[in-house]
Amino acid sequence: MASLLKRKKNTQQPIEGNETGSSNLEVLGLSQGQIIRKRFFQHKPAVAGLIFMACFAIFVYTASGIHLGTDANPLTIKGWWQFAHTDLPPQGPCADGCPSATHPMGQLPNGRDYFSLVMRGSEISLMIMIVIGGLSALIGTVTGAVAGFFGGIIDSVMMRFTDFILTVPFILIGAVIGYNLGNFGVFPLAIFLGLFIWPGLARLVRGEFLSLREREFVDAARVAGASNRRIIFKHILPNSVGVIIVSTTLLLSSSILLESGLSYLGFGVQAPDVSLGALISTYQGEFIYAPWLFWWPGVIIIAIALSINFVGDGLRDAFDPRQRRRISRKERAVETGTRAQVNKS
Amino acid sequence: MLAFIGRRLSLALLILFGSTYLTYQLAAFSGDPLAGLRESTDPKKDVIIAELTKTLQLDVPPPARYFLWLQKALTGDFGNTVILRLPVIDQIATAIPVTLRLVTTAAILSVVIGIGFGVLSAIRQYSRLDNSLTLLSFFLFSLPIFWIAVMLKEFMAIRFNDFLVNPTIDIWSNILISAVLAVIISGFVSGTRKRVLITWAITFGSLVTLFSLASVTAWFRFPSMGIFGIAILGVACSLGFTNIFSGLGNRKALGAGLASVVFGLIAYYPFQSLAGPGTNYELMIAFAVLMLSSSYFIGYFFTKIDKGPVIRVSMLSAFMVALFTVTDKLMQTWDAYFKLSDGRPIQTQGSYNITIKTNDFWINNLDLVTHLFLPTTALALGFAGYLRYSRASMLEVLNMDYIRTARAKGMPEREVVLRHAIRNAMLPLTTLLTFEVAGLIGGAIITEGIFGWRGMGSLSNEAIQSQDLNLLMATFAISAFLTIMATLVADLLYSVLDPRIRIRK
Repeated sequence: MASLLKRKKNTQQPIEGNETGSSNLEVLGLSQGQIIRKRFFQHKPAVAGLIFMACFAIFVYTASGIHLGTDANPLTIKGWWQFAHTDLPPQGPCADGCPSATHPMGQLPNGRDYFSLVMRGSEISLMIMIVIGGLSALIGTVTGAVAGFFGGIIDSVMMRFTDFILTVPFILIGAVIGYNLGNFGVFPLAIFLGLFIWPGLARLVRGEFLSLREREFVDAARVAGASNRRIIFKHILPNSVGVIIVSTTLLLSSSILLESGLSYLGFGVQAPDVSLGALISTYQGEFIYAPWLFWWPGVIIIAIALSINFVGDGLRDAFDPRQRRRISRKERAVETGTRAQVNKS
Repeated sequence: MLAFIGRRLSLALLILFGSTYLTYQLAAFSGDPLAGLRESTDPKKDVIIAELTKTLQLDVPPPARYFLWLQKALTGDFGNTVILRLPVIDQIATAIPVTLRLVTTAAILSVVIGIGFGVLSAIRQYSRLDNSLTLLSFFLFSLPIFWIAVMLKEFMAIRFNDFLVNPTIDIWSNILISAVLAVIISGFVSGTRKRVLITWAITFGSLVTLFSLASVTAWFRFPSMGIFGIAILGVACSLGFTNIFSGLGNRKALGAGLASVVFGLIAYYPFQSLAGPGTNYELMIAFAVLMLSSSYFIGYFFTKIDKGPVIRVSMLSAFMVALFTVTDKLMQTWDAYFKLSDGRPIQTQGSYNITIKTNDFWINNLDLVTHLFLPTTALALGFAGYLRYSRASMLEVLNMDYIRTARAKGMPEREVVLRHAIRNAMLPLTTLLTFEVAGLIGGAIITEGIFGWRGMGSLSNEAIQSQDLNLLMATFAISAFLTIMATLVADLLYSVLDPRIRIRK
């Protein structure tokens, strides 16, 4: 069976501002990597997002310390925050557990320090995000690359398999893992979600490979006697790395939302583990009486997802300048509302 | 083509078989349906467990039990639910309309808003508007729906209902709200800083006046638009549509739009008297058909050349006037509904108010609207996705050579965008749209749960919670079937719409 859909050769690859050459001067004498880095660092929100993510991750992981090993013999490096999320310190200066100097995010009715809970939740949410994102990027890239490069029956089989994976509901995966592997912590959940979230990425990578394998440089490599493996890894993959990186960042932000959604429904992270989604789900009823319990986890989820989205946007701009447009004088005229005069003149 | 469809359909059946099999196994391993019973202290529990084991065929291992289920399912028998022993088919038949009612409005809203703003954002790339829309869409992307739902309930339902008791707006909140709204509205204006500031000042002034009027007349408690309100809004809409589709310089389009508005206003009083409490959906459909067809002819006879944009303007204007007329009728029902709902009109739970039992068409529909309001708002925030997609694809198209050609031959920018760019930019969105349609029936698990709608989403959630394999498999089989069909339809549609992409033998 032949490949079902095939994009016609995409021979045209516009380069930013190539008709005037003015923008080419900016990138003259730079390598591809340097150009991409340069473009990325020009995108201010993306840089801000990246810095925020780095600082936040360091903040979170140093606050609650690092927990390795099993429950029986834990290997813990203590963090700088005085309370662990399992501690039950006495009620602070504020009677109803509202935020104070010792408990910056307030306390639960039983005295638990909410800051340490939120930090622990962020730690787990970040971990889940990275596992899901990494795993699905790997599977999606391999599937899409193989399907797109070899085409034909391999492509059909792999794309129908992708359709098949697309039909499995996440909520069910959460339920199965929660029931069978609930006492192994959140790691199995992250792994299994990662095994099922990749179809979108695979489709994108496949499309990219389908169009790239028809290009002249691939033909040239083939004529020069390059093996399939070499063509894939040396010629096509570096050219499609933009699509992969960009959609992986978007996958990261959607996986943190997926985790919180599942935890909200009760199929994600199970007690005694906490995650940001689980915290919101537990304390949504407190919105009127103890709003800080509801606000903090939500604000942190939004901050994480927002900064990842900005990083993704910056990467997209850096890798794929096709969407950047030089604004011509005529268009500027349109923008300033003097279009009518332009048309008449 | 037919061979291709046939092949894909048979493959689809195979995939459906595989995914139902996998789901059945997963579901069977996601818990023990008898767990609750085993812990009960009922003296007869052994008997009940034995009986349930027999009826649910729990003695058969799941890999084999699937085929027993499949055998029955193929004859259209999806079994009974575990707890209440009701036929699964009936449950689904009642859930699908509920879900459709909930999701359709939100889907239409998000597609229209998303594509509209996306196109606007792309043609004004890197402008103030584009940057704010980008920021907004990223923010909406990052928003957990259950988090925003809690806030919507608090601020748009509970506080709003409290406000309705004494619907006066004090001067400071009036100024604050108007200032913020004016910033948003003037953000759509392009041009110099001076022009934006002037727009802001005008908008701000008129908003403050409007809110003061609303406060004095207790408009939020006794809302209405009246024929004059509709006339003003209708003319504004028709001017707006003319500006978008043909430019205000096109007198024919302007005339046709205004004529349609006048026609709609003529129909206002007959509609008000005809559509009493005992009216029905047939009359509404007849009204819509009348408005749309007559506005089509208005547009058709108004001009001899280039009928397309003129007809579009007149039909859209007539549609908006019809919409305003119906909204006005709903507004007139507001007071009666307010009293029936004990002064808490905006509802946070459920799909209808069980205490209101009336045959009044308008009250029933207003009840639906007040229940739809919050979940629809929450779901419609999904427009951010469409915004990003349509912006990206529009930018891609605007860089193409044929757009440069169109500009070079002196085509006005509006025509370039409307005729060449948008049509091509919308192609990749067909895939997204087919999946959206398939997802409609599957329901929105989280949203339905939060707002207490008993649709397909809460049904499948419930099925998983209670280990109800029959119910789960039925809901799942439907949504899996639709997803698989959506991929097929998307591929076909794409090749039909874009001749560059061919189905290869």
